Amino acid sequence: MLAAGLGIAAVVCAVLAIRASRLLSAALWLAAVSALVSILLYELGARQVAVIELSVGAGLVTVLFVFAISVAGDDGLREGEALPRWLTVGAVGALLVLLVGMALPLGEVDVNAGGFSIEAMLWDQRALDVLVQIVLIFTGVLCLLGLLAESRLPAQPPTQALTENVERPDALPVEPEPAEPEHEPALEEMPL
Amino acid sequence: MNTIEIVLVAAFALVGVGLYGLLATRNLIKVVIALQIMIKGALLALVMAGRATDQVALGQSLALTVIVADTVVAVIGLAFAVQVKRMRGTLDLHALSELRG
Amino acid sequence: MTDWLIGLTIVLPWVGALAVWMAGDDRAEIQHRLAVVFSVAAGVCSLLLLPSYGDGPALSIEVGSVFGTFTFVPDGLGLFLSAVATVVGSLAVIFSVDYMRGEASLGRYYAQILLFIGAMVGLALSGSLFLMFVFWEITALCSYALIAFYNDDPKAVAGGLRALIITQLGGLGLLAGALIAYAYLGDTQISTFLAQADTLPSGVLAVMAFGALAAAAAKSSQVPFHTWLPGAMEAPTPVSALIHAATMVNAGVYLLARFYPAFASVNGWETAVVIVGLLSAFLAALMALFATDLKRVLAYSTISQLGYMVYAVGVGGVFASQFHLLSHAVFKALLFLAAGAVIHGVGTRDMRQMGGLRKDMPFVRTVFVIGALALAGLPILNGFWSKELVLEDGLHHGPVWAYAGMLLAAGITALYTFRMVWLVFYGERRGEGHAHDAGQAMKLSTGILAAGTLTTWLLAGGFGKMLTESLPFHDLHAPGALDLYETILTAPATYLALAVIAIGLAAWWFRDRLAWVGEAVPWLARAADADFGFEWLNQRIVTATTSAGEALRVTQTGLLNWNVLGIVGGLVIVLAVLALGA
Repeated sequence: MLAAGLGIAAVVCAVLAIRASRLLSAALWLAAVSALVSILLYELGARQVAVIELSVGAGLVTVLFVFAISVAGDDGLREGEALPRWLTVGAVGALLVLLVGMALPLGEVDVNAGGFSIEAMLWDQRALDVLVQIVLIFTGVLCLLGLLAESRLPAQPPTQALTENVERPDALPVEPEPAEPEHEPALEEMPL
Repeated sequence: MNTIEIVLVAAFALVGVGLYGLLATRNLIKVVIALQIMIKGALLALVMAGRATDQVALGQSLALTVIVADTVVAVIGLAFAVQVKRMRGTLDLHALSELRG
Repeated sequence: MTDWLIGLTIVLPWVGALAVWMAGDDRAEIQHRLAVVFSVAAGVCSLLLLPSYGDGPALSIEVGSVFGTFTFVPDGLGLFLSAVATVVGSLAVIFSVDYMRGEASLGRYYAQILLFIGAMVGLALSGSLFLMFVFWEITALCSYALIAFYNDDPKAVAGGLRALIITQLGGLGLLAGALIAYAYLGDTQISTFLAQADTLPSGVLAVMAFGALAAAAAKSSQVPFHTWLPGAMEAPTPVSALIHAATMVNAGVYLLARFYPAFASVNGWETAVVIVGLLSAFLAALMALFATDLKRVLAYSTISQLGYMVYAVGVGGVFASQFHLLSHAVFKALLFLAAGAVIHGVGTRDMRQMGGLRKDMPFVRTVFVIGALALAGLPILNGFWSKELVLEDGLHHGPVWAYAGMLLAAGITALYTFRMVWLVFYGERRGEGHAHDAGQAMKLSTGILAAGTLTTWLLAGGFGKMLTESLPFHDLHAPGALDLYETILTAPATYLALAVIAIGLAAWWFRDRLAWVGEAVPWLARAADADFGFEWLNQRIVTATTSAGEALRVTQTGLLNWNVLGIVGGLVIVLAVLALGA
């Protein structure tokens, strides 16, 4: 029952995050989703993952969001609709119906939660994963340094940048001009 | 419905909400938020799948890797958003898109 | 050892392509040298492969599921085509060292030619229908890219696009054939298909047979899909020599020859093939007679000679058609390269501005005349032997009316060949300026090809043996070398053909007296110019494809939301299919 409650609460918070009218509210609802998911993970027996998810997802990422929103400006989301409502709801609804319909019923599964060691798994068998994670973080840092290097990026006035359009390549002529010069009517008339 | 099925449905629902967010939003930061929600759903599904197939440790290790990856994505995505706002003055996707057929 | 050689022959040109591209356009000398080295290395490897012909797969790569196994089978049909592709390819690359000196974007040029050579070898040696399709597509891509090499010239780009669209329709047919074979036989190996072709329902087999004929006609530029080849002459001449004379256009004939045992039993297929070959040979010969652009004459001549090869397959003479393919590859590449030397020296492609070049370009004249004599089918040269063999087979196994048409086409071939040689090299110089003779590399490559023209007919015996022993389904009975020569020399058909050729030559010599013939049929010249109306059909195909492309542009909105919708939609479709199937 706890799992059901947590699950529903997480989905509700997610919906509220998407539909929030201010970016800051959206970020805070995302933090709530993170917290609920982390508790749910703990209930599923993944204790280390839950702790990391809580501190990273609900902590670090939320702080980042708040920082980014404060720098970027919380203009509110006043722009129009991206896609027709029926299309988006219909597509996602169809997807969910198919997924749930195909996955359930699941039948009896063994839900033993004990007798495993995540440290042994992570460091012995999935060592490559750990290496990849390190490389990923390193790459991320490099990307950030490149992105946020202020001195090389002049801030352009918005109107100028927005009116540039990618040039379409010239439409290729569909009718090729006749390649040969005026034809000779009869071969005997060729000058020799 | 046992725990596993409930969690499965919750995971699918989170992914669905995240996808809906990607479909319906025009703000760059909202896009990052929607991606994060999707990844939370994927995390749940991974851990749950590990339990259901008796490969608990593997499921959790993969979940750890996913957390690291999605954090890096969020960080870089937000840095992009900040820079874009600074350079182009708007975070509206429809105004920013120049690449079209 | 064979599997290594096969792998090397395909991979070496590709590595060369990468090397040339990475050398950078500012180091042109290195690019020239790298290209020559890699293409010659590939040629050597393919020649080393020749003795080890067999009928089983030498190299297999398991891919699994619907793609089956990617196999390479070194049988006679494939080995000789790959040898032709690499050897003529290396000679064309050597020629390009002089021809393309000083041109921009050499990296792109050489990389695409080398990519093409590797893909052509793969196509010839492939034993799996899917793998053949993959290499077929790569050759089509390189052909398009090289035709449109001078990409600031709209004619070149339009020519490239048209060639791409029309040959790609054939490629789709090949893919459909592979899928049908997999659906009915569970396996995409060509040997499986040939062995079990009669287990397919006859309607399906007929569809595949005529589809293969259409694909081959499109790729080999036969009637009614032949109008792309003259438009492809915008390519640099070494490209025309390699791709549009010696290798890629032969892929269609190769397709017909390889699948002949499977399709021969389909009602009316052989007759259809004969008709396609006959029409192409005859009409293209007529069009060559009236053309004034040197490369265009050679293009029409290629269509015409390919018509001979297709006709030979139609009457069941697979050995004859492949032998003519070998001879044609050599002498047509020679003619194109020599024409390239002429064009490079004179600066124009229009034959009315040439003339009297025998004084300025003696070496080129010699090699060109050798190639022209082979084209016309004069004795001793390789064209004579192979063309006579084709006509022999046609007389004995095919309908008489077709034989008569091909004989007449042989006469017209002699006529336009002689006309071409006369207009370019003899008579008085009509254009201005001084023509310079060919450079070293040009002389080397054309000289080797001329030597080949004089001698490749000696390979007939070994070639026949190779084909007979390594093609288990074809039931070939290629005669030994001496038998072959004796048969050709003693057959009355040979002398009949020679007489017709002599008439053709004489007709040019006495053209002043025959001028009244030209007066009587002015419509013929106009019709020949308009490609006998087939241009309209091909133009419609190209226009339909490009407008469909333009219409579909609206789906590329560039907006994230639409792209994600596409992803979700695709996922829904896949899941729905899975749900229904399970």
